Amino acid sequence: MTSFGFAWRSLTRQPARALLGVTGVSVVGALLFDMLLLSGGLAVSFRDLLDGLGFDVRVTANQWVPSRGPLIGDGAGVLAKLRGLREVQDVTLLRFGQAEVVLDDDPDFSANFMGIRGRARKSWTVIEGQDLPEQDDPSIPSILVNRSLADKARLSAGDLLRLRGTCEPGAAAMPTTDFRVAGIVAFRFEAAGHHDSVTGLDAFLRACEPRDPDAATLFLVASHAEAGPAATVRAIRQALPDLHAYTNQQFVDRMQVTDFSYFRQISFALSTITLFFAFLLIATLLTVSVNQRLGEVAALRALGFRRRRIIADLLWESALFVGAGGLVALPLGGLIAGRLDAILREMPGIPAGLHFFVFQPRVVAEYTVLLAVTGVLAAAYPIYLAARLPITATLRREVVS
Amino acid sequence: MSAAPVVAVQEVSLSIAPETYTAISGPSGCGKSTLLHLLGCVDTPTSGELFFDGHEVGSLGDRERSLIRLTRIGFVFQRFFLLPMLTARENVELPQGEAGARRAERRERTAELLDYVGLTSRAEHRPSQLSGGEMQRVAIARALANRPRLLLADEPTGELDETTGKQIADLLDRVHADGTAIVVVTHNTALAGRASQQLEMRDGRVRRRVGGAS
Repeated sequence: MTSFGFAWRSLTRQPARALLGVTGVSVVGALLFDMLLLSGGLAVSFRDLLDGLGFDVRVTANQWVPSRGPLIGDGAGVLAKLRGLREVQDVTLLRFGQAEVVLDDDPDFSANFMGIRGRARKSWTVIEGQDLPEQDDPSIPSILVNRSLADKARLSAGDLLRLRGTCEPGAAAMPTTDFRVAGIVAFRFEAAGHHDSVTGLDAFLRACEPRDPDAATLFLVASHAEAGPAATVRAIRQALPDLHAYTNQQFVDRMQVTDFSYFRQISFALSTITLFFAFLLIATLLTVSVNQRLGEVAALRALGFRRRRIIADLLWESALFVGAGGLVALPLGGLIAGRLDAILREMPGIPAGLHFFVFQPRVVAEYTVLLAVTGVLAAAYPIYLAARLPITATLRREVVS
Repeated sequence: MSAAPVVAVQEVSLSIAPETYTAISGPSGCGKSTLLHLLGCVDTPTSGELFFDGHEVGSLGDRERSLIRLTRIGFVFQRFFLLPMLTARENVELPQGEAGARRAERRERTAELLDYVGLTSRAEHRPSQLSGGEMQRVAIARALANRPRLLLADEPTGELDETTGKQIADLLDRVHADGTAIVVVTHNTALAGRASQQLEMRDGRVRRRVGGAS
């Protein structure tokens, strides 16, 4: 009988113990799997979101996330310089603000309000009506709203929307401006429950009348394929040394050490704890098992079974615990991750397209290696007990007891 | 404070010739089992010399001694120590597999041994489904699996009633008659009386020797 067969029989000899052990490893393994999904999930999902916009370089006034930092002065000049770079294929200027939407039943209702100059690429998807027109009617400019805002204000494509720009804190109250809803869209960075709108930059400035009408919040840049984002960033930094340019990956890397670091730390701490529990569980089960079988182990040794064989039997037993529990843990972890992801995505300000738990083949490989190492380490003490067993003393003790 | 060392066996000069039947008896704690384990290459003496088939056992490593135990010595224990998750057949096959015997060879030898101990019909039963006498017969079959030259039995009838103990003693007689040397440690005078050489131990020493060559 092979060591595997022997270990299998040892495991199935006590089905309740085996079931408890495998269940324990499954639960611990599921949590470990989830923490590994979480550790890199945000970054992967965020990178997907950024790439999905169709721009690969961002230009801001400082290193902060665009909406939190200062504005970029001389927006028109910067736009022209960026467009003049041979590495740059496309540039879009964005200006973020707020607006009070005039509703009969909710006088304090406000929405995110954004002005754009240039192509939006894939920043949003039209789900009803049409996109912003190339040439707009200045008397009643077009606006796009997300589903949440359309539902709240009971809007359809073609309806009028009256709003008051409140783009700068402390600014005087602006008169209302009428917009025609060109379409209802889904913004790629739209957060659940948030009310978002976008219009052309000229209409935005008319509605807001900001102190610095030539400023921009952010420039989105699409590189020429042959140049690539890294070369484009180098060119922008050379041309506009006062501004901050970074690729999507650099932006993700920065988020990893700022906003996402909490999740990474939580993931690391919980992964370590779950591994420790897995270690304790397997080590305890195997140690109890060996202690119950000391007489058998001593008899096998007396019959001429080598230490190596006893070690192999125990390693296989550990591998069966870890393997069976670890396999069950994958779908279980997937289910838990799905539920946790849904809960976390309900946090305010989280883009609906952003996921916390993202499956990657790398995670399965890491999970397998971590569980395997834990299984081997957990088997170390029971293996030591069995391999170093004093045969004569153990047989005598078993007879006396 | 550490306990003082105990000298379990001392001043014993003993030779087990092929095809002999030796019984060792004496009160509990007199060193019988220790002597048996020395003879079985499980333990090595702290002083003196022990030879098995011309090899000085003390100079052998664990691997070599394990190989000797596996292929040339059979062990029978008072508590049987059959593996409870394996059937009688699998228990008998186990040491053969460890010694590298092929599957067909193992099957044939196991069938032969179970027939030898009268348990062919119980081959697929687990130890929990066998009586004490049947378990000991399986244990004897397991001990003979790799055709050992020496069979060591430590109180083989210790857990059995008189009738069953006699059946096991008869079986050991048969094993001996078929050419295997036997050393049995026992309190059972009837079993000891069947041996050609009887040693009585006390305080780690052989006090009386009846029969035998040395």
